[in-house]
Amino acid sequence: MGTFKAAVINEIIKIYKKKKVIVAVIISLFAIVMGQLMVTVVNTGFGLRAVSGTQFPILVLSLFSRTILPFFTTLVVIDVFSGEFSHNTMKITMTRPITRIKLFTAKVSAVAFFVLVNLIIVMLLSMLAGILFNSDSITEMGVFRVLLAYIVTLIPVVAFALIIVFLANIFKSGTTVFFISVIIFIAFNAITIAFPRYSSLFITSMFDWHSLWNVNTFQISKILREFFIILGCAIMFYTAGYYLFDKRDL
Amino acid sequence: METVLKVVGVTKKYNNGRGIFDINLDVRRGDIFGFLGPNGAGKTTAMKIMTGLMSADSGDVEIFGHSITKEFEKAMRKVGCIIETAESYTYLSAYENLKLFSRFYDDVDNNRIDEVLELTGILKYKKEKVKNFSLGMKQRLGIAAAILSRPELVILDEPLNGLDVQGMIEIRKLIKLLAETEKTTFFISSHLIHDVELTCDRIGILYNGRLVNVDSKENILKNYASLENYYVSEVGKNGNI
Repeated sequence: MGTFKAAVINEIIKIYKKKKVIVAVIISLFAIVMGQLMVTVVNTGFGLRAVSGTQFPILVLSLFSRTILPFFTTLVVIDVFSGEFSHNTMKITMTRPITRIKLFTAKVSAVAFFVLVNLIIVMLLSMLAGILFNSDSITEMGVFRVLLAYIVTLIPVVAFALIIVFLANIFKSGTTVFFISVIIFIAFNAITIAFPRYSSLFITSMFDWHSLWNVNTFQISKILREFFIILGCAIMFYTAGYYLFDKRDL
Repeated sequence: METVLKVVGVTKKYNNGRGIFDINLDVRRGDIFGFLGPNGAGKTTAMKIMTGLMSADSGDVEIFGHSITKEFEKAMRKVGCIIETAESYTYLSAYENLKLFSRFYDDVDNNRIDEVLELTGILKYKKEKVKNFSLGMKQRLGIAAAILSRPELVILDEPLNGLDVQGMIEIRKLIKLLAETEKTTFFISSHLIHDVELTCDRIGILYNGRLVNVDSKENILKNYASLENYYVSEVGKNGNI
């Protein structure tokens, strides 16, 4: 087995064994159930249709991608980097026949896989809830749009994760990384609200990037512009994070 | 005899002025090389540089002819090691830990995992989580992880730490067995002179970051009553005992 593939599998297994995936899924499930209950109350109590069967997953995504997903992604990144440095377990893999660039990329890939799995599970659960409570409004195009919205959300969230990776390679303490991540997240959101003209510079404003894809006519130029901003951010923080990871003496 | 580990001019200086300075040494295939020195001599620093955990200020290390800095994967492919402490993932079982490590090597299967657990005396604990292990058990697991891939060079930093008397005897026997039957080369650091005398056949003394001398145990014991006398003599020449 190639060493990179071995490292990715190992990192995914370690993330899974630490149970954060399960906690994230449980909390997401709880949020979906609560959301669907509220929608059902509005539908049956007031005779209104709050959201259709395929709009509900999009609503869930809008909330999930701004709250639960970045939170758990931050925790997983801290575990994968700072946690291993502080528990002295990083050297276990660093003394195997794998270069640091492969190891770093494997860890980032495992985090991306965690984000993808989370998104897919939440998508399936919210679609199931949407089908169960509002099956007459489900269409094939609607399902496709839901799928597309969830998949494209992966990109800005992984870019955000790379910022946390960078921080995790600067600060030795996972607690410090967590608090600084929270401060950065709140600050970015606050600046986005206070100065909407500059919102596209901040990765947190891209978490609803999926809304650009959930339309009848794609705004290609806007999608491409935001994609390149996300890509630039990702490349910058990947490179900076790797530089620090490579230079670190254990 | 083939040189499996070559250290050339390695220097690493910390901010407090301590470190290792101009270390040069060769370890040949089949050697059980003892790296002897007091606490703070620089043994672990040297071993971290040898295994790529730390970068040297100058100099290089070659393992099986491959530079650690330029060809890391090739250099480390046939190396197993314990550096500083025998670490493992405490939330996984002994078996799961070794399974993770085994993926980096093509020829390590589940039978080999059981084999090394048996060799190190912890097969019956293979399904237990490492967080429930004693220090000695963790050390044995670390040794199992080090020899898992049938390495040709094993670098062990204080391998007998935490082991009971029986454990020390077993691990010493295992080292000698692997050296004899599989021609495995061992590079072992220790501050315990008696352990080094019992286990190793070539000995290098590190003191204040400098390699004071390297000689075979046979030669040493021809001229000195014990390794301890040799150590005191060599270190004494450097003016500190």
